[in-house]
Amino acid sequence: MQLTIQASGKNVKAISYLLAKNPNNLYERKQKGHLVRFFYSKCTDTELDATIFVTPDPLELLQNKSNSYDITHYINDREFAVSSIFTSLIRSALGTALNGLPKEEYAEWVDHRFPFRFEIGPVASALSDQQLKDLFEPMGYEVAISRPEIDYSFHLKDRSSARTLSLSGMQTLQNGLRHLFVLIPVIDNYKHYFIDEKEIEKLERYGEGWLDSHPLRDFIYRQALRFKELYSLVEPAEASSTEAQPVKKVRLNDLRYEKIVELLEGLKPKSVVDFGSGEGKLTAKLGFINGIQEILAVEPSESAALKALERFNKLREKEQFVMPETVWGSLFYFDERLKGKDAIILCEVIEHIDEQRLPKALDTILHDYRPGALVVSTPNREYNEMYDMEDQFRHADHRFEWTRAEFAAWCGERNHQNLYDLEFHGIGEEQALHGHPTQLCIFKRKGALA
Amino acid sequence: MNIGLPHAGIVLLVGPSNSGKSTLMNKLINEGTILPSEVIGSDQFRILVSDKEFIDWSNRPQDEAAGLIDEYAAISEEAFSMMDALIEARCRLNKVSIVDATHLHSDARKRYVALAEKNHVPIISLVFDIPEAELLRRDEQRDFPRGKRRIKQQAQVFNREKRWIKKEGFASVYSIKDTATLEFFRRENPLEKEIGPGIDLIGDIHGCFEELLELLHKLDYRKNEDGLFVHPQGRKFVSVGDIMSRGPASLETMRFFQRHINQELAYMVDSNHGWKIARWLDGRNVVLSHGDEKVEAEFLSFENEAGSEPALQLKGELKEILLQAPSHLVFTANGVPVLVCAHAGIKDEFIGKQSAAVRDFCRYGDTGGFDLQGKPVRKDWTASHTSRTLIVWGHDPKPRPLLVNNTINIDQGAVFGGQLTAYRFPERDFVAVAAKENYAGTAENPLQEWKKNRLNPPNIAKFLNGYSVLTEELGEVKVQQENVKPAIDNVSHFTVPIEQLLYIPPTMSPTPKPSSLDGYLEHPKEAIDYYRSNGIDTLIAEKKHMGSRAVLLLFENPEAALKHTGIDTIGIIHTRTGKRFFDTEVEQQVVRQLISELQEKDYFRKHDTEFVLLDAEIMPWNLKAKQLISAQYAHVAENAILDRSAIKNKLAQAANEDIQPWLSEYEQKLENAQTFRDVFQKYCWEVDSLESIQIAPFHVLAHSKETFFDKPHTWHMEMNREFAEQSELFVATEFKLITDEASEDEMIAWWNEMTEDGHEGIVIKPNSYLARKAGKLLQPAIKVRGRKYLSIIYGMDYLEPENLARLKSRNTGKKQKMALKEFALGLEGITRFLNGESIERVHECVLATLALESDPVDPRL
Repeated sequence: MQLTIQASGKNVKAISYLLAKNPNNLYERKQKGHLVRFFYSKCTDTELDATIFVTPDPLELLQNKSNSYDITHYINDREFAVSSIFTSLIRSALGTALNGLPKEEYAEWVDHRFPFRFEIGPVASALSDQQLKDLFEPMGYEVAISRPEIDYSFHLKDRSSARTLSLSGMQTLQNGLRHLFVLIPVIDNYKHYFIDEKEIEKLERYGEGWLDSHPLRDFIYRQALRFKELYSLVEPAEASSTEAQPVKKVRLNDLRYEKIVELLEGLKPKSVVDFGSGEGKLTAKLGFINGIQEILAVEPSESAALKALERFNKLREKEQFVMPETVWGSLFYFDERLKGKDAIILCEVIEHIDEQRLPKALDTILHDYRPGALVVSTPNREYNEMYDMEDQFRHADHRFEWTRAEFAAWCGERNHQNLYDLEFHGIGEEQALHGHPTQLCIFKRKGALA
Repeated sequence: MNIGLPHAGIVLLVGPSNSGKSTLMNKLINEGTILPSEVIGSDQFRILVSDKEFIDWSNRPQDEAAGLIDEYAAISEEAFSMMDALIEARCRLNKVSIVDATHLHSDARKRYVALAEKNHVPIISLVFDIPEAELLRRDEQRDFPRGKRRIKQQAQVFNREKRWIKKEGFASVYSIKDTATLEFFRRENPLEKEIGPGIDLIGDIHGCFEELLELLHKLDYRKNEDGLFVHPQGRKFVSVGDIMSRGPASLETMRFFQRHINQELAYMVDSNHGWKIARWLDGRNVVLSHGDEKVEAEFLSFENEAGSEPALQLKGELKEILLQAPSHLVFTANGVPVLVCAHAGIKDEFIGKQSAAVRDFCRYGDTGGFDLQGKPVRKDWTASHTSRTLIVWGHDPKPRPLLVNNTINIDQGAVFGGQLTAYRFPERDFVAVAAKENYAGTAENPLQEWKKNRLNPPNIAKFLNGYSVLTEELGEVKVQQENVKPAIDNVSHFTVPIEQLLYIPPTMSPTPKPSSLDGYLEHPKEAIDYYRSNGIDTLIAEKKHMGSRAVLLLFENPEAALKHTGIDTIGIIHTRTGKRFFDTEVEQQVVRQLISELQEKDYFRKHDTEFVLLDAEIMPWNLKAKQLISAQYAHVAENAILDRSAIKNKLAQAANEDIQPWLSEYEQKLENAQTFRDVFQKYCWEVDSLESIQIAPFHVLAHSKETFFDKPHTWHMEMNREFAEQSELFVATEFKLITDEASEDEMIAWWNEMTEDGHEGIVIKPNSYLARKAGKLLQPAIKVRGRKYLSIIYGMDYLEPENLARLKSRNTGKKQKMALKEFALGLEGITRFLNGESIERVHECVLATLALESDPVDPRL
């Protein structure tokens, strides 16, 4: 991780005073176990070329990290890429220049604009070259980006993911450094980025005079303050508008829940199992069905189950809400607790399971647990045409999507003991040729329920 | 009079003060007939709790007397509760407690009868029936006379009560009029038998008489001139019960056992059918069903042939032998219990005990309610067996002898067309003969039922709160709840189906100690030292392939797959986390290719197997890890080289002379980065067709009829070569055998050469698959990775002296423990699968390994 500061022309030697670094000496300080080093490759009356870099202690960087049981924790780009680690380590070495407080006699140079070329690297960023340019050009830089050549013995990638960023422009040293101190953490795409509230203050201080008028101001803030909570301190008004889902999708989800609730209301179940309840969106709605006494939300993923629990707890006090019980369970195991319930629901669950594994799981449900009714919903593949989808599935984790005929045949096979009557429904806007976006089958056990 | 003291339980003395109870006990102690600790008296406990044996209130004013009476009552209450606790403890330990107190009232006696019943031990009573005059005479001679009034009162109560005692539930009641003429002897525990030259336990025979004779013959029993089957070494055979009913020759089998038991050549324990038939023979009103009616039919035809007199005679004899069958037997070696034989099972606290509850349990097992079809639900009593005594049982037919938690089921359903099993002890091996036919001929066949249910989904309740797996090789392996959860989540979302997930490869530890050499973190020396210091002479060093670990389950044909896993496929390849290795299409191509190669070699027929389970490495690394390599290793290499070359160039431009050390430092660092970049490419190559894939199987884990954990690694390597011959996908693994210093040096040179070339390294193993020292399981394998390879694990600069010094302080303790546990679980799961056990029992092991893997450990080890 390095920053090279180059300038040529008259008076460039003054820059060394602004930096408060003697061109004849090597600068080396230990910062949190890492070496911060500064030297001049050149410092003449007309040419200045200085580099500040960090030689990290790789083992020190590994200390006290939460993900230390992941192998990627030990082999990563933190030792090399410019990042917030870099800016925080070099901050005090460049303090004089950053704060614009050289010795009195050089104060006049603080606001002097030099023809600078700043070079930083390596840059490990998810941003495209153009996005990087868009970040620096508004301040008047000419941006050049280079990548090293790669030559692997087998086809691995098309180009290197390491870049060097070269920024040329007339800037005061202080502003140039401030741009870098704000934008280096922004372009770095590391996920384990440490942020505290001081970060806001820094952003405001270093961003003074340029950040507010930056066309990508919001993006910069969002990136710099990556934790939502922190971001909301700055921008409470639009805190949650980040990931708007396509309107169509949201409506379909609601329609699906509505339909299932409506079907269940007709069945008047006392006990319901929401299998694969995920974050509990449907389960929460079941809690308001009239006459319901017991709801089991079955989910094998702990993180999803915790979110569901949070959702239920918020509703706990609501009138007529029956608190669901979260059950740690799975379709592939036998679970005594699920036997003999009035209804079991598999809402958009089966398509997330390898087709081969399904018959057995359904056998357990239909013939061991023997609910009064089983509700199964899944996408109708035919309808994908309406979404202009070609061969892909609606969700990356879908293992299959079925046509209506495939689904009907499959449901028929599941009922091989003929204990149930099958009833099919469509959910969502119906289309003459392709049917509904979602298809649903309700298995009603003969002689059970009303 | 001869009085037999029971082997355990309670001897209740009954009689007024001065009737001679304590005097007799003291005499018996002095003679050595009983131990002082066997006599428990209320007086003794009064002193222990209150320092007072007796309080005399006879000559005190009324209010003082009242106070003293209260005090005495309080003392008595405490004393009795202490005493009961002691007696109960002794009952649990199968000791004799002789309770010395008056026990004049029925309530006092019944309390002990209940206590004995509760603890499944016998209780007898010795009733001291001494004339009142004599009692009074003796009282006068006491240091602290009880007083005339009290003695008279006691005598009165005694005389009123004594005739009821016989009906209070004692095993026997001895009425003693004169203590001088008494002879005491001690009974042995009728349930205990010394094992002698050995025993052969035989599973449920159910009238399969021909099979029985065949089995005895196989066990080396020979018919003598009296028509008795005797063993040349004097071994005895033991039936786990149910010798009759359902099958063709119940009568003959029962007569056979009657003769052998009477001659003390055989034993037999009580059982559900045995008990039913015994009561029928006893003339009780029982409904004969479940094959018992066949016994009746046999008796009828016997009666028709031999006449009613001999039939009656035979009935009587057989009734005796069945009624006398003990609930269970405890076999001892030099007096120490080593094996328990019980028909349907036993609880630990019942072992060596007798009561109605014990007999019921041993006959029927732990029954808990009834299922939908009205059949009793058999609960799993084996789970609560914690003592180290081996329990051998039958009753519940399993296709193969089932070893669970130090219990062995040897009922292999001979009468249902299965086999008749004998378990030889102390040899601990099985001998079996196949049944000639399915004699029972019923629609309900427990063996078929077992097969049908074998693949039922595992019961989640068994795992939910954490659980233990009892492994043959390492004993109990515990799995914590917090680790089970992510494992079940994993199985629910990502792994191949549970029925196909038979084995998860164990993790492997690097050398327990870091290398003592400078510049090396790992070196073969430390691995050799580890095994040598544990007494292992022959080691094998196998070249470690750098790819991705995989488990291959390949079937001869889809029918075999269906039979063994219930899934119609010819094979599956999964990763060490249980995920499908390839996408379905490529998997099928690879599997088809492998199977056709195996078939060309006539592998399945030659080895008499329907499948082969292989532990292997699949290469190249990028096949599975391309994303990781690109985003992690290549990305880091590119950044490092860019960073370091830029700094190096800048430093080289600087005029400052002091900068030389920085420059040298960065020259070295750049070299490190380049090594790093080069090393990971060693394990990668272009995959443009199936032929680019290499599969190196290093363990043949199982065939459909056997496992190969008893074969040395040289055998596995030989098999490996057989696979690789004329194969497009399988490759052989280079290896070296280490037996002496010369071969050690040769191996180290080999390691140095290959690792300097960038290869990952080697794995050093004891040549035998399982190695132990003083009973303790040793690491099955230790990996020794090369200097260059380790830079992609520990970072490109790990060999810099200050880094290496710190890295050498690593601790492999947890990794080693995990490696052992996962190794034992792997073997256990496969063994269970091969034994035809339920997939739940197999999955228990697989899930445990997955759970252990979710327990964090330094991933660089």
